[in-house]
Amino acid sequence: MTPAKLVAERIIHRFGDTLALQDASLEIPAGEFVSIVGPSGSGKSTLFNVLSGLLEPTSGRVLIDGTEVTGETGHVGYMLQKDLLVPWRTVVGNVVLGAALTRGATDRDEAEARELAERYGLAGFQDHYPHALSGGMRQRVALMRTLAVHTDVLLLDEPFGALDSQTRLEMQQWLLEVWDELDRTVLFVTHDVDEAIFLADRVLVMSPRPGRIAAEVDVSIPRPRRLEALTSPAFTALKRRLLDLLYGQGAA
Amino acid sequence: MSGWRRAARLATPVFAVVGVFVLWDLTVRVFDVKPYLVPSPASTFQAIADDWEILRPYTWTTVTETVLGFVLGAVVGFVLAVLMSRWSLVQRVVYPLLVGSQAIPIVAIGFPLVILLGYGLRPKVSIVAFIVFFPVVVNVLDGLANVDRDLLNLAKVMSGRPWRVFLLIELPATVTPLFSALKLGATYAVTGAVLGEWIATTTRGLGNYLLVQNSRLNTDAVYGAVLLLTAIGVSGFLLVLGLERLATPWRSRSTARRWRRRTPPAGADVTEPSADPAMSATVAVSEDGSRTEGDRS
Repeated sequence: MTPAKLVAERIIHRFGDTLALQDASLEIPAGEFVSIVGPSGSGKSTLFNVLSGLLEPTSGRVLIDGTEVTGETGHVGYMLQKDLLVPWRTVVGNVVLGAALTRGATDRDEAEARELAERYGLAGFQDHYPHALSGGMRQRVALMRTLAVHTDVLLLDEPFGALDSQTRLEMQQWLLEVWDELDRTVLFVTHDVDEAIFLADRVLVMSPRPGRIAAEVDVSIPRPRRLEALTSPAFTALKRRLLDLLYGQGAA
Repeated sequence: MSGWRRAARLATPVFAVVGVFVLWDLTVRVFDVKPYLVPSPASTFQAIADDWEILRPYTWTTVTETVLGFVLGAVVGFVLAVLMSRWSLVQRVVYPLLVGSQAIPIVAIGFPLVILLGYGLRPKVSIVAFIVFFPVVVNVLDGLANVDRDLLNLAKVMSGRPWRVFLLIELPATVTPLFSALKLGATYAVTGAVLGEWIATTTRGLGNYLLVQNSRLNTDAVYGAVLLLTAIGVSGFLLVLGLERLATPWRSRSTARRWRRRTPPAGADVTEPSADPAMSATVAVSEDGSRTEGDRS
């Protein structure tokens, strides 16, 4: 059994009188891709903020490689639906942002950023400013920026939520390609059940407020996954099950 | 093609200015306006030419007051805004005072300023700075307050050092609002210099010249001085506009200027040897063609 990379133990978080997270626990082995789905207001983003260290939970612990990191930042990579690219920095400048903000970006950082960009679909755009890029490309840059920080764990909070469905499909395949080559542990929040299944080894279902992990579904569709997987019987069965879990029997 | 379009765009404001002069000239001719009421453009320019020996040093004086006051006001305003955004106590103490200061009529503080600073350059520079600094404070403060919270959180998740976050994320966010304030300031500054000269009347600047010629009913000379003052204000504005374009390449260009790019160091294990960033960028443009024309003038 692989030792757990990322562990959340009985996370409870309260905003004033509102209980946002109630005993949310999860355990993710190294290199696994896990999706989290849940209705709006189920505390997915709160959970992410706790895992990233931005938010100190009311109680509970976060561990990475067995070391407690509750309330500490700098241990995970983090990416949101908003690309948050800095408009006055070029693609390379944005990719090396993590280094620039901690110790100053070196030539080596920039060379690595150029290579990442080259390899993952941004060739020729390394010196472009973000405003000159399409939405999909901007999200690629945002993920490169997250990768360049060199954390083993990536938290992706609906990173493709603002993209049109065609670009989104493209980006999902691209993300799988990146993940496959770079061997990172990924926690991926989404509203989109198809997206959750297509990407993940395992899908966690969160309950409405107060949020906790209510169910867990293994995705045994073999990798590498192609678009055809989206219409396979195994996929449809998983989707049915997840929709049942999310919206009850009637919705499926 | 785009060259023509560019030229046409640059020519439009020139035509507008020429148009005003033509209209002015026609009005004077058609309605036969007396020269002591409104002089013609020709006699105005003639007045400038006739008095040029005096006007040149006067213009220089007024330009000096304007520029020094403008720079002083901009620097003081910027530093104040940064201090106020860093320490909320400073903001709570200073902000109401600043707002109050702007409610004081400048003409009213002019005389105490003369008593305090004498008749030299200092009261004029102070008045110009006093006018220029306020929009700078307000705009830069807004710029600092409007930095995306999520971006600051991201910087936190990356364990960004606070002063690096300030230098790389917060400070650059003030550039655009700063220049909006400076564009206002560039035109107001000349008014400040003229007011300063009227209040502390010993230096020889265009404001004084204006007063003297006005008292002599030399209307053409008055118009000449007004033209020169306008030219100073417009030049200042254009200079700020140019600086803004230089300082914010990301707003007008799709790629970084060549000298601002750091090329990958030789020997570093980067991609293919032929991956000259500029080359591959041009290739990508022709392949993609969508929204990446080299320079969106």
